[in-house]
Amino acid sequence: MSNAGIATEERPAANRTEALLADLDTAAKPRRSRRPSAGAALTIDSLGVSYGKKQVLADVSFEVPEHRITALIGPSGCGKSTVLRCLNRMNDAITGFRMEGHVSFAGQDIYDRRVDVTELRRAVGMVFQQPNPFPMSVYENIALAVREHNPRVSRHELDDTVEFALRQANLWDEVRSELKRSALGLSGGQQQRLCIARALAVKPAVILLDEPCASLDPISTARIEELLLELSNEYTIAIVTHNLAQAHRICDDVAFFLIGELVEFGPVSQVFDNPRRRETAEYVRGSFG
Amino acid sequence: MNSSMLKRGLRLRSTLGPIVCGLAALVVAAACIFIFGYLIQQGWHALNWTFLSTDPQPSLLEEQAGGIRIPIAGTLILVILSTLLSLPIAVGAAIYLAEYLDERRWWTRGIRLGLEVLAGVPSVVFGMFGIAMFSKHMFTVLSSQGAEGAQAAFGRSFLVASIVMGIHVLPFVIKTAEESIRSVPVGYRQGAAALGITKFRALRKIVIPAAAPGIATGTILGMGLTAGDTAIVWLTLGGTINFATDNWWQAPHWLEVLRGPGSTLTTFIYFTSPAGEGNATGLAFGAAAVLVLVVLVLNLAALLIARLSAARG
Repeated sequence: MSNAGIATEERPAANRTEALLADLDTAAKPRRSRRPSAGAALTIDSLGVSYGKKQVLADVSFEVPEHRITALIGPSGCGKSTVLRCLNRMNDAITGFRMEGHVSFAGQDIYDRRVDVTELRRAVGMVFQQPNPFPMSVYENIALAVREHNPRVSRHELDDTVEFALRQANLWDEVRSELKRSALGLSGGQQQRLCIARALAVKPAVILLDEPCASLDPISTARIEELLLELSNEYTIAIVTHNLAQAHRICDDVAFFLIGELVEFGPVSQVFDNPRRRETAEYVRGSFG
Repeated sequence: MNSSMLKRGLRLRSTLGPIVCGLAALVVAAACIFIFGYLIQQGWHALNWTFLSTDPQPSLLEEQAGGIRIPIAGTLILVILSTLLSLPIAVGAAIYLAEYLDERRWWTRGIRLGLEVLAGVPSVVFGMFGIAMFSKHMFTVLSSQGAEGAQAAFGRSFLVASIVMGIHVLPFVIKTAEESIRSVPVGYRQGAAALGITKFRALRKIVIPAAAPGIATGTILGMGLTAGDTAIVWLTLGGTINFATDNWWQAPHWLEVLRGPGSTLTTFIYFTSPAGEGNATGLAFGAAAVLVLVVLVLNLAALLIARLSAARG
């Protein structure tokens, strides 16, 4: 988890460009060899969603493989964010939400009445497009969620968990001396890594990210992409992204959506270099959206 | 230079408009300064420690009329007690309205309408309600028994006045509290939900603390309303000047004081003004100056909290 080669704020400007190019280069190289995927972390079966009278998804079926990075791509309004929100039941809060079909996690239908939603969301975490750290210290941001799921956690354990989460999110070195500082004072990229650390602190199995780099600069984006590559060894990652280059850089599998339907799903090399459907080919070559 | 860009005579409305508006603002500012200045000038003599720390004495001579310690204490008691009573209810109601109430239900509009109506009830009407309701025998605990063996309670005391006053400011504090809660960024709630934090816990630990400055501002402004109200206090506090007992500052007497009548700055002003029973305008102006300063300080405190929290972002 070293930061070698990543530009820090102290580096002179002249070196930053070199460092940035080096980073992008690293991310484009073939990935480190990974453990074979143990199977599907999440299974989506004939998922259909409507908000009130408006149907936004129809008959979507695919699997999110474990320990992989799966991209959900498609033009604006195609329903990819809706799919993502179905995976941790964040759509429940939206008035008029109705769904059909099944979503399974760890062999359990997550929409079963008996499922504890808070436990589901602990195991399936989410990071949003706009970083949303709580208006409290860096330490408290992480501690709050940990205490929610483990009310009797000791101070010592809490300190360890906070450090663990921040290290995993590649943020520890930057904030270790200022844990009590308000999270709102961090930069955009740091805030987003804090949000990732927060999700990691409760030991999830899956991390969902909804265009996490959309509001970040290229250097911060590169850092988060590298982070996601590292994390995918231990966690399952699903990421909605508009950035096709990003999908190509870091993802293993790609799901392409168009007007509420899953058009194609397959390994990244196949979807980008050898798509089965014409719409897929047009999209990945930038003809539209 | 293109001649069509040159000014083409005086555009009357555009030039006069700002001037007229400026004059209107000037009138308001002048009225403010004049009223305030006149009060301070007339009541300047009151702003010394002796006056503030002496109890009023019954006397026709102004020099021996004492000070305004009791009315000041009365205002403080009323403000503190009514805030203590109404704040938890207001915050609870605001939370429910902002977070749990389903806007689509038909009874939601009924609740909101009820609050609007409550906000519009004149304070003297509240006072009448207070006397009528709290004179009932079951409320004897709130005020003294009245005449020996009487069937009704006296119906006037600090407790009664605080309750009625609390209800009076309730719509206002609920409204500002609800707005504060609603204006907390939705990202906090989403982030908390995605972490598996229950809604109520997120409210308790994240949303309400973030809304606290706004709620505090509303509460302080409500205190200003309470300090300045006359009709409710005059009707529900009893028309006396002194507390129910001497040595009122000693703790064992507090319950008796609360269950008894007294005066606040507002009723004292009314009492000593030419329209009231007394006729000591010097005292009236003195109390008026103090009251205006109290309300001013409260408003400035509210403004300060609002500015500080906005700066902290």
